[in-house]
Amino acid sequence: MGAGQDVGRSCILVSIAGKNVMLDCGMHMGFNDDRRFPDFSYITQNGRLTDFLDCVIISHFHLDHCGALPYFSEMVGYDGPIYMTHPTQAICPILLEDYRKIAVDKKGEANFFTSQMIKDCMKKVVAVHLHQTVQVDDELEIKAYYAGHVLGAAMFQIKVGSESVVYTGDYNMTPDRHLGAAWVDKCRPSLLISESTYATTIRDSKRCRERDFLKKVHETVERGGKVLIPVFALGRAQELCILLETFWERMNLKVPIYFSTGLTEKANHYYKLFITWTNQKIRKTFVQRNMFEFKHIKAFDRAFADNPGPMVVFATPGMLHAGQSLQIFRKWAGNEKNMVIMPGYCVQGTVGHKILSGQRKLEMEGRQVLEVKMQVEYMSFSAHADAKGIMQLVGQAEPDSVLLVHGEAKKMEFLRQKIEQEFRVSCYMPANGETVTLPTSPSIPVGISLGLLKREMAQGLLPEAKKLRLLHGTLIMKDSSFRLVSSEQALKELGLAEHQLRFTCRVHLQDTRKEQEMALRVYSHLKSTLQGHCVQHLPDGSVTVESILIQAAAHSEDPGTKVLLVSWTYQDEELGSFLTALLKKGLPQTPS
Amino acid sequence: MDPECARLLPALCAVLADPSQAVADDTCLEKLLDWFKTVTEAGSSLLLLQENPCLVDLLTHVLDLKPQNVSPRVLSFSLCLAGTFAAQEDCFEYLQQGQLLLGLFGEAGPLSWAAWSVPIVRSGWIRGLRSLAQHPSALHFLGDSGAVDALFSLQGDSSLFVASAASQLLVHILALSMQGKAAGSSSLQGSAWPACAQKIVDHVEACLCSTAAPQVTQALNVLTTTFGRCHNPWTEVLWGQLGPLVAHLLENEPIPAAHSLVDLLLSVARSPVFASADCGLWETTARMLSCLSPSQAGPLALGTLKLQNCPQALRSQAFGVLLQPLVCILRATAQAPGPPGVLDETTEGSSMTVDTLLSSKSACVGLLCQTLAHLEELQPLPQRPLHWPQTLLVEAAVIILKLCEGSVAPSSSEGGRLCGALAGCVRVQRAALDFLGTLSQGATSQELMLQVFAVLLETLESPASSPTVLKKAFQATLRWLLDSSLPPSSLDLGLPAPLFLKELFPVLQKRLCSPCWEVRDSALEFLTHLTACWGGEADFREVLLASEVPKLTWQLLRDPESYVRASAVTAMGRLSSQGLQAASESSGHLEVQQGLVGELLHILSVDSEGFPRRAVARVFTEWLRDSHADVARDTEWFVATVLPMVSRDLDWEVRAQGLELVQVFLAQTLGQSSPHCPYVVTLPKASPPSPLPEVLRTLCQLQVFDFAFRALFDCDRPVAQKACDLLLFLKDKTAPCSGLQEPGESSDVTSVEATLQRWQAGEQGQPLSTLEPKEVLAALRSMDLEGLQSRLAESSDHVEKSPQSLLQDVLATVAVLEENVADCY
Repeated sequence: MGAGQDVGRSCILVSIAGKNVMLDCGMHMGFNDDRRFPDFSYITQNGRLTDFLDCVIISHFHLDHCGALPYFSEMVGYDGPIYMTHPTQAICPILLEDYRKIAVDKKGEANFFTSQMIKDCMKKVVAVHLHQTVQVDDELEIKAYYAGHVLGAAMFQIKVGSESVVYTGDYNMTPDRHLGAAWVDKCRPSLLISESTYATTIRDSKRCRERDFLKKVHETVERGGKVLIPVFALGRAQELCILLETFWERMNLKVPIYFSTGLTEKANHYYKLFITWTNQKIRKTFVQRNMFEFKHIKAFDRAFADNPGPMVVFATPGMLHAGQSLQIFRKWAGNEKNMVIMPGYCVQGTVGHKILSGQRKLEMEGRQVLEVKMQVEYMSFSAHADAKGIMQLVGQAEPDSVLLVHGEAKKMEFLRQKIEQEFRVSCYMPANGETVTLPTSPSIPVGISLGLLKREMAQGLLPEAKKLRLLHGTLIMKDSSFRLVSSEQALKELGLAEHQLRFTCRVHLQDTRKEQEMALRVYSHLKSTLQGHCVQHLPDGSVTVESILIQAAAHSEDPGTKVLLVSWTYQDEELGSFLTALLKKGLPQTPS
Repeated sequence: MDPECARLLPALCAVLADPSQAVADDTCLEKLLDWFKTVTEAGSSLLLLQENPCLVDLLTHVLDLKPQNVSPRVLSFSLCLAGTFAAQEDCFEYLQQGQLLLGLFGEAGPLSWAAWSVPIVRSGWIRGLRSLAQHPSALHFLGDSGAVDALFSLQGDSSLFVASAASQLLVHILALSMQGKAAGSSSLQGSAWPACAQKIVDHVEACLCSTAAPQVTQALNVLTTTFGRCHNPWTEVLWGQLGPLVAHLLENEPIPAAHSLVDLLLSVARSPVFASADCGLWETTARMLSCLSPSQAGPLALGTLKLQNCPQALRSQAFGVLLQPLVCILRATAQAPGPPGVLDETTEGSSMTVDTLLSSKSACVGLLCQTLAHLEELQPLPQRPLHWPQTLLVEAAVIILKLCEGSVAPSSSEGGRLCGALAGCVRVQRAALDFLGTLSQGATSQELMLQVFAVLLETLESPASSPTVLKKAFQATLRWLLDSSLPPSSLDLGLPAPLFLKELFPVLQKRLCSPCWEVRDSALEFLTHLTACWGGEADFREVLLASEVPKLTWQLLRDPESYVRASAVTAMGRLSSQGLQAASESSGHLEVQQGLVGELLHILSVDSEGFPRRAVARVFTEWLRDSHADVARDTEWFVATVLPMVSRDLDWEVRAQGLELVQVFLAQTLGQSSPHCPYVVTLPKASPPSPLPEVLRTLCQLQVFDFAFRALFDCDRPVAQKACDLLLFLKDKTAPCSGLQEPGESSDVTSVEATLQRWQAGEQGQPLSTLEPKEVLAALRSMDLEGLQSRLAESSDHVEKSPQSLLQDVLATVAVLEENVADCY
C-alpha cells in the first residue's frame, strides 16, 4: 500500500500461512490531504481491521515509516498489537508530536490526530529487544535484528511454521560515527523484503563526504559567515554533531555551535538510555566520555540569531517549512557570506525544496519576496545500504526470493536483474496496490516415537545426521500434531484390531502327476534353490518358505494342469514375488 | 487562471513532453491535476484549451511519441488530464475532432503499448475515463472505443487499486447510461436496456453463472456498488433479473465469495428502492444466515439487525446468530442458560458454532472477538432488539474474562477445551472488556454486578494482565462504577460501589507503582476521571483519603516518563480542586497545598518535555476559572508568577495555554466579552468589575501586555492568533476608556511601536520598556488588529501551496534533478 516503486510512505501487507501482518505504517509528507496516509480500506473489505490483522510492526521512527500510526490506531480503529524496538517506542512519539504541532500550527489542520491519540497509540505498543523471539500468538513469532540507519532501527523476521519473511525496513551495511552496521543471520527466509533507496548507487566514500561537509562549514565560519543546518530532532543530527564536535576539538575552533533548545537534552537522554544500540566505539568510550555530551555544542536561544560573527546552528524542522529553522533562514538568507546545508530530502512546497532546486527569489507571506543570497548546499547523510550493501545482505540471509520496496522503479529494475543473476532467486518489485503471490513448500514437523526409533537402532542402522533415512511407521494426525509411531503402538492407541493381509497368486503348471507328488517336487526344488531359507513340507501336503504357503491343487477342468496356490503376507512381499516368478518358470525335469 | 500561471504553463508542458526531462516526484503531478480540476470546475475547459494551446500540444505530443519514450508517470498524468478536460461536452467534442481521445483511450492507444504493464498507466487510463464519463457523447465514445471490454478484464487486475477503480467505473457507466430512462419496470423488460448498460448487465449475469470464484466476486462487487450508489427504479428491475441468480449461488457447497454475497444482500436491503417491496430478498437473507459458517454469518446478522425495515422473524434469526457463540460458551461452562426465549431461537445451527469454537484456538478466538465486537456495536443503537438479554450478555462477558484469566474450571470436556484455548488470550480479553464496558448502561441485578466487579478486580489484580488489558479494565471499571450508582438524588453511591472501592484502591495503588509507564498512566487517567465525577461523594472521599493513592500520585509528578508526569499533574490538579490531597501527619493541609503549587511551578519552569508543562498550564487555567482557593487567595500574585514562565516557554502550546489563562483572568477582572448582538439579554454581573484605569494599571504591572504583544508576533501561528483575539477583546473593553487620555495630550507610542516593529521583523530579543496604560491604549488603537486577525486566519503555507509555487517548483526541479537523488526524510 506504500513504498511500492516509490520512496513515499512505507506500508506493506504480508499474509503468511494464514497470518496477516502490516509492516510499517508511514505517511507521505508531500501531501496535506488524505493522500498523506495509506488507504487502509484496501486491507480488508470484510470485517474489522483488528480481527483481520494479527499485528503491526514498525521498523524505525522516521515518519515515512510510522507517521500514520496514530491515525491508523486511533482514527481508523485498529486495536491490535503494535511491535517496535524500545528506542523506537521512546522516540516515535517525539517525532509524531513534532509533526502534529507543525500540521496544527502552520496549516491550521483541525482534523488531525491529537497528543492524546499519540499517547493512546503508543500505549498499544509492545516493545521488543534485539534477537528476542516474540510469540505474537501460538503460531506467529517475530524477531528483531539490528539495522543501523537510525537509533533503534530494526529488521524483523516474521515466522509461521517453516515459512518466514524478513523485512529490512531502512538499513545501512556500513557503520557510521554513532551506529553500527546492519546484521541478520543466515535465516534462509522464504522471502526477503528489502529497501532499495540506493539500488544503483555505490556511494562515494563516506569520509569523502564528511571532509567535504567540514570543509564547507569551516570555510564559511572562517570568512565570518553563519551556517544553518536544518535537521529533524533525532537521527542524522547527532551524527553531524559528533562530526563537528570532533573537528572543532581537533582544529581548536572557538566559533559557537548551537542546537535547537530542548532537543539536545532530549537526544542526549535517549542516546544515553539506548547506548547499547550505538556502535562499538561509542559504547567503549562511554565510561570515560559520553560522545553525546558535547563540549562545543550549546543550546540555542532565538536571541542568538542576531548576534554578530560566525556561528553554526542546528535547527528544526529539517525541510525549512516552519518553526525555528525557517525563522533563522529568513534572517540569514540575505547575506552571501552565510550558508545553509540541507542534509536530507525535502518535499515539494517547502522552502527547503525550493532553495535546493535553485530558486533564489521566494515569495513569503504578505507578498514579501525573500531574496536568497546565502549559499545553499545539499549533502545527503542518510544512512541507507547502497547496491553493494543490499547484495551483501541478500547473501547473508540466503532467502528463497527477494522483494524490493522503497526505491525508484528504474533503479529497482537494475538491482532486480542483478540479484536474479547472482543469487538465482526470483526478485519482485511490485507497484503500490499490486499483490505478489509466492508459492511455498511448507515442511511439516513430525514427532517420532521412541519405540520406533529404538527398533530402528536395534536393526543396527545407526543414524547419521546428514543422511536421509527411510523409516516405516504409522502417521497419526491428531489435535493438529503429527506423530510417527510403530504400527503396533498405533493400533494400541487407536484401539483397533490387527488384520492380516495375504496375497495369493495362482501358478499353472503342465503336469499330470498327483497333487501330493507335485507338492513334494516343489519342496525339493525350493529346498535346493533357496539354501538360506527355511523350507518345510507340512503334513497336510503344503510347502512353506518362511511365511509363504504353497499348495498344489488339480485344475477343475483340465486334469493335465496343476495349479500352485502361492500365498504370502505383506511383510514378505519380496520373497513372495520371487517365488512366484521362480515357480512360473516351471519345475526341473526329474527322471520318472 | 492566474496570469503568472498562464505564463509558466508552456514551459511546464514543454518539460512534461520532453522524455529526457524527468519530473521530480509523483506528488507534483498529483497536485497539478488537483489544480487543473479546480480550474476546469470554475470555468470553461474549452476556453482554457484555446487560450493555452500548449495543453493540447502536450497531449498530442505524448501520443506522437513512440510509446517506449513516454515516461509512465507522464503518460498516466496526460490520461487523467485529458479526462479532466473532456468532462465538459464541448471540450470533449473539441478534443475528439483531432481524434485525440480515441488515441488516448481507444484500443489502439495505451492498451496496446508496453507501458500498459505499468499499474499507474492503467490507473491513469481509468481515472481519465472516469472524469470524462459525464455526458451522452462520452457514453457513445465508451461504447465504440472498446473501453468497456477493457474494464471487464481490468476487474481482475493484479493491482488492487486498478481492479477496484475498474469496478467502480463500470458502475458509473451503468448509472450514466441509465440516466433519464423511464422509471417503469415494464419499459426495461427484455432488451430495452441501453446498449452500454445491456453489455454490462450481460457481463455481470455471465459472471454470476461462472464457476470461477473470482468472476463471481467481481460481479457481486459491481452489484454491491450499484445498489449502494444508485437508488433509481431501474435498480429494482435489475434485482428482479439478477436476484434469482444470486439466490442460486447459495445452492453451491461451499458458497462462493460468501463475504461479497453478504455485502451485496446488505447493500440491496439498505437501498430505499426496496423499502417496501419484498422481492425475495428476506428469504435469501434468511437462507444465507442459516447456511453460512458462524464467522461469515456474523457480519450479515449485524447488518440485518441494523436495517430499519426488516421482518421480525428475520431479526430474531439474525440476533440468534449473533448470540450463538456466547450461548455456547455459557452452556459449555455450565452456566444457567439465561431466559428460555433467547436460547430456543439459538439452538438451530449451534452445533456449527460449537464446532468452530472447538476446532482450533485461532478459530475460537476469531469468532469470539468478532461476536463481542458486533454486539458492542449493536448495543447503543436504537435498532437493537427490544428484548436485549442483558443478563445473559453480562454473564457471558464475565465467564469469558474468567476463562481468559484461567480462574474457572469447567467440568465438561468442551469447557475444558475452551479454557485451554482462551487462557491468557489477550485479544479476547481486550474485546470482552470493551464489550463489558458498554454493557454498564443496562439494568443489571445487584448479584450480577458483584460478579462484574469481582472479575474486573481479578483482571486488575492479575500479574499476568498486559498493559493494554489493564487500560481497558480501568476503562470498563470506570463505566461500571459511574453507571451503577443510584439515582443522582441520593448522596450515597450504589450499594456495591463502596464495597468495591475498598478493594479497588489497594489495586490502584499497586498499579501506580507498576514498572510499565503505560500502566501508571492508565491508572492516573482512571483516577482523574473518577475524581472528576465522584470527588464530592463522601464514600469515595473517605476511601481515597484513607489510601496511599494521593501520596503516590504526588510522587509520580517526578516520574521519569513525561507522559506519566503530565497525567500526574492533571490528576493532582483534579484532586486539589476537590480538596483531596493527602495531608500527612507532619504537614497541615495548607502546607501540602502550597507545596503543590510550588511543585507545579517547578515543573513548568524546568521540565524538559512539553507534555507536563502543558498539563500544568491547563491545570492553572482550570484553577483560575474555578476560583481554586489557593489562586483566589492572591490572584494577582498567581498570574504574575505564572506568566513569565509560560511566555518564555519553548512549546507553543504552553504559550497558547498561557494566553488562555490571561483570557480567563481578563474575563474575571473586566467582565465577559460584550455580545455584539444588541438583542441579547445580558445577565447582571454578580460583582461589578473594578474600575478600568485601575485594572489597566494592574495588567501593565503584571506584564500582560508585554506577553500579549510579544505573542502577537510569535513564529507559531496559533499563539499569534490567540494573542490577536485577546488584544481585540482588550481593545473592545477599553474603548470607553479613551477618556483616560486628556484631549490634546498625545501619548508617545513611538518607542512602543518601534519595538513592536522590530519584534515583527523577528528580533524578539528586544526588551519592551515598562508600559504605561496610556501607551497601551494608544498602541491598541493604532494597530490594525482586525487586519492581522484575518491574515492569521489563513494557513501559513498558503503561499507555498499556491499553483504558482507548484509550477515554479516543478520547473526549477528539472534542472537540478540529477544532483539530488532520492532520499528519505
